Amino acid sequence: MLELIFIVPMLTGLAALFFPANLGRGVLLVCGVLHFQLCIMAWLGKLSIYADHYFYPAPSGMLVLLVTSFIFLCISFYTVCYMQESEIENKPVFIGCMLLFLGTMSMVCLADHPIVLWIAIEATTLVSAPLIFLHRSNESLEATWKYVMICSVGIALALLGCFFITLSIDIAAVDVSLTFSSLNKVATQLDPVWLKVGFIFVVIGFGTKMGLAPMHTWLPDAHSQAPSPASALLSGALLNCAFIGVYKVHTLMYLAGLGTFSSNLLITFGLFSMLVAGIFILRQPDYKRMLAYSSIKNMGIIAFGVGIGGFALYGAILHMIHHSLLKSSLFLSAGNILLGYNSKRVDHIGNLVTFLPRTFVSLFAGFIGICGLPPFGLFISELFILIGAMQAGHHWAAALFVFNLLLVIAGATQIISSMSFGDGGERPLESEHLLRVLPPYALLLASVVLCIWMPEIVYTAIINTISIIGGAIHG
Amino acid sequence: MHSGLLRRNSIHGVSAMNNLNDIIMVLILLSVLLSLASSRLAALVRIMALQGVMVSLLPLLLEHHAAMGSGGLIFFQVMIIIKGVLIPGLLFYALKRIAIHREIEPIIGYHASLFAGLLIILLAVFITDKLQLSVPVGNSLLFTTAVTTCFSGFFLMMSRRKALTQVIGYLMLENGIYLVGTALTKHSHTVYVLEFGVLLDLLVGVMIMGIILHNINHAYDDIDTDLLNRLKD
Repeated sequence: MLELIFIVPMLTGLAALFFPANLGRGVLLVCGVLHFQLCIMAWLGKLSIYADHYFYPAPSGMLVLLVTSFIFLCISFYTVCYMQESEIENKPVFIGCMLLFLGTMSMVCLADHPIVLWIAIEATTLVSAPLIFLHRSNESLEATWKYVMICSVGIALALLGCFFITLSIDIAAVDVSLTFSSLNKVATQLDPVWLKVGFIFVVIGFGTKMGLAPMHTWLPDAHSQAPSPASALLSGALLNCAFIGVYKVHTLMYLAGLGTFSSNLLITFGLFSMLVAGIFILRQPDYKRMLAYSSIKNMGIIAFGVGIGGFALYGAILHMIHHSLLKSSLFLSAGNILLGYNSKRVDHIGNLVTFLPRTFVSLFAGFIGICGLPPFGLFISELFILIGAMQAGHHWAAALFVFNLLLVIAGATQIISSMSFGDGGERPLESEHLLRVLPPYALLLASVVLCIWMPEIVYTAIINTISIIGGAIHG
Repeated sequence: MHSGLLRRNSIHGVSAMNNLNDIIMVLILLSVLLSLASSRLAALVRIMALQGVMVSLLPLLLEHHAAMGSGGLIFFQVMIIIKGVLIPGLLFYALKRIAIHREIEPIIGYHASLFAGLLIILLAVFITDKLQLSVPVGNSLLFTTAVTTCFSGFFLMMSRRKALTQVIGYLMLENGIYLVGTALTKHSHTVYVLEFGVLLDLLVGVMIMGIILHNINHAYDDIDTDLLNRLKD
């Protein structure tokens, strides 16, 4: 049964809220392994759908699900060690919410009905709020409040968008069940005006959750204040789930013949997000906040690539996969640094290369990857997006894109080199445990391996999802 | 003769229903205006309870929803309980543990808020008129009420400082969006399981907001969101 993919983590999460902490760590690990196994089985087609009005293994959802599951597996290994060394007051809540988070995100990936998608995305917001607030400082309290309020309002607007899409069905007097797969088949018959209005609200709504500017204001606070395993999940998995919502409605718009409208909107939001993130990365004093702004920038790049379409769409999907792997690796490395130096400020960290050499390697490799340099996957995806933009004739947009990439590289280089080779900071308190150091390496390795070799089944899924809206791998 | 009497009675019944609908919608509009002008937090929660009950009753009484099974009736009763009793109950519980009873120095004052509320109603009427919706219900007052509630909820969130008032603004926004859904969508699209899921999300949302509210009060001895200003770039 396909729905087991999200039912298992959710039930385990609810139960884990009542388990003692030590048992909880084992439960987290076991559930992560089980979830990954279920995902592989679903990819191989061994699981069938039970409630087919609401859920469907669409290729885009399955891709995000696979990436999410893999990231969660690595993070669960990391968390086992993290929980021993970090002071967490309420361990059962932490474990329970991490599992519930995995479950609700899996539900987003498998949802086919717009309202089910909405319920799952709002549930991810509610279930991740206790995670952000875990360390109970005043700053994390502020971050949690902003996160819950801004995301809930945004998601409420997305619900309004869903209602307008339903209205476009009713006005056109088309009798079809309200699922994305059946709507895609009758897209040309739907009323265009209300589809456009619905799309605007959905982009603003789910874009808030995705981190597109100008609705991004909650993201730097939430992702930097959360504990590192949660930050890795938030940046690496949750943003992709919100992207699925936008992507599905964009697919509907394209099939209805309104592709130009939705593409232009996505390109605008994408470029604006990249610009805003680039400005705030320069001279950022907090390294976790810098990583959060980098997430905003990368989400902007994905929206930009989807908007341009064609070859750039393939680049955007690749970008989504590799960004998740690299960003979660970076957040885990940042967590190692935080455990070692006990400070989030860049000027309090120095000489990483001598004190924490293994963390330095993973941090530096992750930094090279996130800047878009080879051998990591973002190099290829950004190249494809650039080529796609030039081919489609968006020369100014491509120029802005390149300028922005250089801006971010400049800003991040200054921070990373100051942390790695600079003088500030004292000797770290904790040494590097293997279980904390290996997961970032595993994620980085996965990104490199995916560049060289992509499993046939993953490649087919990517082609299936992009060919619906005109994407292709040949210009 | 007999059939004529019957016909007159049924028409009278339908127009009585319409009157009842209009009364409920006017009550919702009044609750919106009241909430914009109110400074006492307890009064705000009571107004939201009233608004929740009204919003839950409305779909029951609309004509095209008349053909509804027993599942639907149970669902609407659950909705009235959640929106009219559980959620205001949670808010009252949160209010009791906080020492704050009034909103002091809002960003936009009460008289200005009330005036803004009237402007919002005018704007909503204008939008409804302009759109000329051939919606399934055909009741333009419903759409006006829905748009007014949405905008007012938004306005309340933007113009008040206390965190509890922002939660109330969010609830009002959700009520308005629910009304838009009732106004615009055909009954055949309503699946009660899904609507229940949406309600559950709302309930858990209010619980989580209440917990954060309690923690803000614990940290700052006040629920003024201006105090939440340490994270900046």
